[in-house]
Amino acid sequence: MIHFDRHARRKLLSHTIAVLSGLAVIAVLYPLVSIVYEAFVLGGGVLFQAQFFTAVPPNACSALSCQTVGIGPDIVGTLILIGIASGISVPVGVLAAIFASEYRARGLGRAISFTADVLTGVPSIIMGAFIYGYFVIYYPTIAYSAYTGGLALSAIMTPIVVRTTEEGLRVVPNSVREAALALGITKWKATLRIVLIAALPAVATGVLLAIMRAAGEAAPLLFTALGSNLYPTGLGHPIGALPLLIYFFALSPYSNQVKVAWGATLFLLLLILIVNIVSRLLIHRMAVRMGGT
Amino acid sequence: MNADPLADTGRPRGYDLEIRQLKTRAVAMGEWALGMVHDGWRAFSAGDLSAAQAVLDRGAELDRLDEDIEHAAIAFLVLRQPTAGDLRTAAGLLKITTHLDRVGRLGFDMARITTAGPPAGPVELRELLERMDSVVESMVHQCLEALGHDRADLARELFRRDDEVDQLHREANRIILRELRAKTSDTPRVADTLLVARHFERIADNACKVGEKTVYALTGQRRSEYLPRHRYIPYALETPTTAPGTTEHPPPG
Amino acid sequence: MLGGDKIRTEHLTAYYGPKPAISDVTLGFAEHAVSAIIGPSGCGKSTLIRCLNRMHETVPRTRVEGQVVLDGEDIYQLDPVRVRRRVGMVFQKPNPFVTMSIYNNVSAALRFNGRPSREETDRQVVRSLQQAALWDEVKDRIDAPAVSLSGGQQQRLCIARALAAEPEVLLMDEPCSALDPIATAKIEELIKKLKEEYTVIIVTHNMQQAARVADNTAFMYIGKLIEFGPTEDLFERPKESLTEAYITGRFG
Repeated sequence: MIHFDRHARRKLLSHTIAVLSGLAVIAVLYPLVSIVYEAFVLGGGVLFQAQFFTAVPPNACSALSCQTVGIGPDIVGTLILIGIASGISVPVGVLAAIFASEYRARGLGRAISFTADVLTGVPSIIMGAFIYGYFVIYYPTIAYSAYTGGLALSAIMTPIVVRTTEEGLRVVPNSVREAALALGITKWKATLRIVLIAALPAVATGVLLAIMRAAGEAAPLLFTALGSNLYPTGLGHPIGALPLLIYFFALSPYSNQVKVAWGATLFLLLLILIVNIVSRLLIHRMAVRMGGT
Repeated sequence: MNADPLADTGRPRGYDLEIRQLKTRAVAMGEWALGMVHDGWRAFSAGDLSAAQAVLDRGAELDRLDEDIEHAAIAFLVLRQPTAGDLRTAAGLLKITTHLDRVGRLGFDMARITTAGPPAGPVELRELLERMDSVVESMVHQCLEALGHDRADLARELFRRDDEVDQLHREANRIILRELRAKTSDTPRVADTLLVARHFERIADNACKVGEKTVYALTGQRRSEYLPRHRYIPYALETPTTAPGTTEHPPPG
Repeated sequence: MLGGDKIRTEHLTAYYGPKPAISDVTLGFAEHAVSAIIGPSGCGKSTLIRCLNRMHETVPRTRVEGQVVLDGEDIYQLDPVRVRRRVGMVFQKPNPFVTMSIYNNVSAALRFNGRPSREETDRQVVRSLQQAALWDEVKDRIDAPAVSLSGGQQQRLCIARALAAEPEVLLMDEPCSALDPIATAKIEELIKKLKEEYTVIIVTHNMQQAARVADNTAFMYIGKLIEFGPTEDLFERPKESLTEAYITGRFG
């Protein structure tokens, strides 16, 4: 019979927990790692063709010699859509957050906060449906276009921007606001040029998060941007995006298109990863330079 | 809400205990000094040299009491940084002990100038000096009572009794000068009574000063705020109608 | 009230929600003098000075009754932003703008409230830092972040920042309570010099500090003004027994 004393029991417990935690980490990382692995295996080869990034996607083709060409238009499409979506969601989101945080006394501020919270949980396809119902149906000239696609993505991005900006503002100590007001600086100037600047790293991180989320959404674009295999000629026409391409081509029975889908998947993953790392580094540098912490 | 901060909780607060201790020690020193006056006068008046010696031996203790209280008061000031009444009391005691020390010293001196033999001068002089001693000792007693029991009213009253002492002093001087002119064999000892009468007058004055400082410690009032202003003139110019202590100017306020 | 008052309150009552933090306070602060307000925690002294530059109303659900008269005008009839430029404030915990350099902190009031030239701003910054007795310590690193300064230096920076706005009155809410004795001494010395140009009103919980720097002292208790007068008189022979009980440590 093994004799346990208190000390040995504690050590055993401690080690057990450590091992379980390690296993949990592996369990969580496994899907990510396996996706990257699969994408690499199935789509890696495609990436090394230079024209992958510039040529248009291939048509349906059943011959073994079909070309797997490029995803150029979809890269451009994603960038355009994100650009439009940010252009809407960042100003709107930041201003709404400022209102909610700094002018809190009016109950409206709290309503905004609560609403943004709820909206971040709404499935993105519903956002797409909302934009469809409001804009696609009533404005036939731009029905399926970069405009409506951008709107759909902004509907997803805005609540995230609101929430993170508000959080960032809340963390700014009240002493900063008081100091500014006591100097005879008007409230709006103090808020925009001092408080908001102090919260800038948090705001930037929030915008980054929102962009990452929007860059990967396919569902809301299905019936707004619609998708396209050609380079966009204008913002009023249907436009492609990486997630849409992946969706369409992954379901294709033609192997060359499937390969392109995997290539695009890998590309999107790597893009998100790199942008994430680079942005975080830059934001960290900004924070250090500003606050010394 | 807070309880009334002025309510008497029955427990000592702030520096109550330390202040009380300082005052008690001052009163004890005053009683020592008073004893020296009492016995010093008895020794002089009876011509009793051994009694005089006993008084002289008490001088060292008087010095020690004075120094100890001064030290305690200064320690209280530096360590507690008191304000208001506490401050006034500690600062006031520094002066009070000086006056009490003078009182004791004057009794000491009466013992010092004692010479052996029967009382000098006529009966009326002896009776007058006895009377002076009685009033003066009572005044010292009163100032110590005021100090020890926080009686500002008693302290303020002292100056009135000073007038009586002044009168007795002048009367004693008159008699003594008359005796001196008569040039009897007693003259040296009669001359000594001149000093003693003056000593009594000084003791009364010091008792009044103790009273003044006690009023200041208790209320913050300075002498000019409650004493009538008195214009003094030399004795030589005084006429029978200008009785001592006449108020020539009304008190302020 | 005294004729030489720079700023005074008339029957001032200030509320947080339904409860008055100060009631019916009438008090005048002399020009070019240092006035201290002392009293136990919760007596309303901070609330009082925050009414003097209309900072009290920046908190939600607050209300003010009565008047605060600055040079003959009721500040509650004036634009609050303008009032705050004339009546500056230094807070208990030093609060420089952490995202800004020393220079930018001091020049903040100038940069945000007008567009003076670079030379003018430079001159004002140097002058304010000199007035705050900080210039010599920072002149070589004026663009360094404000947070690189020590606690005492940061507080002097906040004083310089407040002075750069060229106020007429300077309010100080327990300016030394977060500082060590040496930093405190430097600031007290500074306060005594500042009164030559400004009217200084300081809230302090430290009675000895009031005794050291203030010409006049006010004692407050549970929102009411109990006594006000020359500092020496208040500490040597206070008129109110409540004042005496407080300053001799006999409260409670």
